[in-house]
Amino acid sequence: MANAASGMAVHDDCKLRFLELKAKRTHRFIVYKIEEKQKQVIVEKVGEPILTFEDFAASLPADECRYAIYDFDFVTAENCQKSKIFFIAWCPDVAKVRSKMIYASSKDRFKRELDGIQVELQATDPTEMDLDVLKSRVN
Amino acid sequence: MAKLLETFPCVPSTERGRGILIAGDPKSDTILYCNGRSVFIRSLRQPQDVQVYGEHGYAVTVARYSPNGEWIASADVSGTVRVWGTHNGFVLKNEFRVLAGRIDDLQWSFDGLRIVASGDGKGKSLVRSFAWDSGNTMGDFDGHSRRVLSCAFKPTRPFRIATCGEDFLVNFYDGPPFKFHSSHREHSNFVNCIRYSPDGTKFITVSSDKKGMIYDGKTGDKIGELASEDGHKGSIYAVSWSPDSKRVLTVSADKSAKVWEVAEDGTVGSVIKTLTFMESGGAEDMLVGCLWQNDHLITVSLGGTMSLFSADDMDKPPLLLSGHIKNVTSLAVLGANQKTILSCSYDGLIVKWLQGVGYSCKLQMKDTKIKRLAATESSIFLSGFDNKVLRIPLTDNEFGAAEHVDIGHQPLDISIAVDSPESTSLVSFDSGVVLLNGLNILSKIDLGFAVAASVISPDGKEAIVGGQDGKLHIYSVSGDNSLKEEAVLEKHRGALTVIRYSPDLTMFASGDANREAVVWDRETKQVKLNNMLFHTARINCLAWSPNNRMVATGSIDTCVIVYEVDKPASSRITVRNAHLGGVNAVGFIDDCTVASSGEDASVRLWHIEPQ
Repeated sequence: MANAASGMAVHDDCKLRFLELKAKRTHRFIVYKIEEKQKQVIVEKVGEPILTFEDFAASLPADECRYAIYDFDFVTAENCQKSKIFFIAWCPDVAKVRSKMIYASSKDRFKRELDGIQVELQATDPTEMDLDVLKSRVN
Repeated sequence: MAKLLETFPCVPSTERGRGILIAGDPKSDTILYCNGRSVFIRSLRQPQDVQVYGEHGYAVTVARYSPNGEWIASADVSGTVRVWGTHNGFVLKNEFRVLAGRIDDLQWSFDGLRIVASGDGKGKSLVRSFAWDSGNTMGDFDGHSRRVLSCAFKPTRPFRIATCGEDFLVNFYDGPPFKFHSSHREHSNFVNCIRYSPDGTKFITVSSDKKGMIYDGKTGDKIGELASEDGHKGSIYAVSWSPDSKRVLTVSADKSAKVWEVAEDGTVGSVIKTLTFMESGGAEDMLVGCLWQNDHLITVSLGGTMSLFSADDMDKPPLLLSGHIKNVTSLAVLGANQKTILSCSYDGLIVKWLQGVGYSCKLQMKDTKIKRLAATESSIFLSGFDNKVLRIPLTDNEFGAAEHVDIGHQPLDISIAVDSPESTSLVSFDSGVVLLNGLNILSKIDLGFAVAASVISPDGKEAIVGGQDGKLHIYSVSGDNSLKEEAVLEKHRGALTVIRYSPDLTMFASGDANREAVVWDRETKQVKLNNMLFHTARINCLAWSPNNRMVATGSIDTCVIVYEVDKPASSRITVRNAHLGGVNAVGFIDDCTVASSGEDASVRLWHIEPQ
């Protein structure tokens, strides 16, 4: 297998969707998948703004790795409505080692393509991307 | 959210052959004692009212209130003294490394500015006196060659410090800056405790040579001794003065406490009253600690029972407070009306607690180390470390005689089929299970895999055995007491530690050593609730609420987490720091109260409010 770190292309769609989320707030979340045969990162799923965190968590498979962008809305201590863009590297413990390796080595290059990520999170099981964890990371 | 309802605290940790020192605050009528790494503050008026300070990194030996009642200084086996506030969440004022070894006694000066600490300094300084806020040393304390067991500060000016120790010496220092003044070798054995009278005119030393000596408070000369007729027949471990400086209370290894009247000039002390302590008749009745506070006389026995006598009416039977000394390994909840909680610790002590009341009664098993406890309304089954399964019948307020059966292997887990006609129980050991009827072995089955946890359904027809590899094997129990394997469920990624059926038998829940718990549907064998991964270390215990809607898990990470079966695992209620050192057992008392017990030898009751 070729050097995965430099070999993985990023489909244009990924960047476009991300810019829509950042500028026009048309999505709540975006889930990206690495398509091995085409050696690309593609958009697997896009979520509407009305969807909640539970819907987002449910759209991540329990035994495969993914990358995800989530737009997290919260209220700060001074009572102002704020939102932060999270990049979540979802690598569950039960996923195949090969899958984890490919996602881990391509992560950096992919992140550099998406300009405007505020917080990065790595989750190996559902408890690590719980709402409490997101809330504690925004401070 | 979770709120602490009640604590059934442990009692002071005791050691055979040594006295222990307990202290108190006359103003708020509380006493202080230590167990493990925690200091317990207990109110004498409301013995249920307990607060715990667990910030020491090593076992705590002694704790004392400052004279104004605002600060507490506590010392541990590493030679560290911590000064912290009584109110305001025990905020730490200062921490000093005072001696190189264990600290045995600590006292404040009457103005609250100085502290003297004594103990084992490993050859270097054995006693140190320092300022409470800065830690500056005041004076050299030479003169002792071995461990200094006790020290006392004269409560009136001019300042004097008296110390006594294992080298049979009683030393007297004047100052400040403190320097050696005189030494006395009146005792012929370890001098265990030294205390100044509250008016500062005399001090008394008591020793393992069964004698007590009285000295002048200002000069340190011996002026008298406690009368030997009607005196103690065993080592005297501790002494405490009455607030009026006229009487003293001593406790001894001869299982009695004596109240003496000390003459004005201090030449002689004569016995006024002897209080004997008789509980089990064995070595546990030896009295090792005492305190005279306001109107109360408190004595502590080796077995951990604290007796509260009234000083005015010494003939009145005392109030007995007891509890565990060692960590509580297992817990069972019984009782339809008034809930009883049975807790057992590995040293063979079973204690019965009543919700709302506290300590009810206890049973000390001799020479048995208990691992697990399972109970029905009429009897308790225990599994120990010596291949035995014991049964103790339970009547209203008492424990009956224990009978046992040897099952040939060390038992791991024990579970009772409460609804089966003859009280069948299942005991698992490292390679199989044993089916018991009462105490008769029905069958011993070798299952061929490494067994970790097991449970039998209340009607005795189905059993689930979990293996070290994380697989759950479901068996049906047939009439000839053999097991037929029905299904194998794989989901856990670590050795199973506990499996429990829900009260309505539609579900069962299992927890493993990899911090995950799973709720399964019994009929379909499908996972009902997963992602219960919120603990950070091995799950030790699990319990169902009576209404089948909640599951509580306890883990070594000191948390108890309550999940609701209908809601996703992320909406959970966490009780953090339930027990310092880890939670060993949980049980539901009713639909919103959970009892938990752990390494800190206490049992706590929490009120859970479902969101």
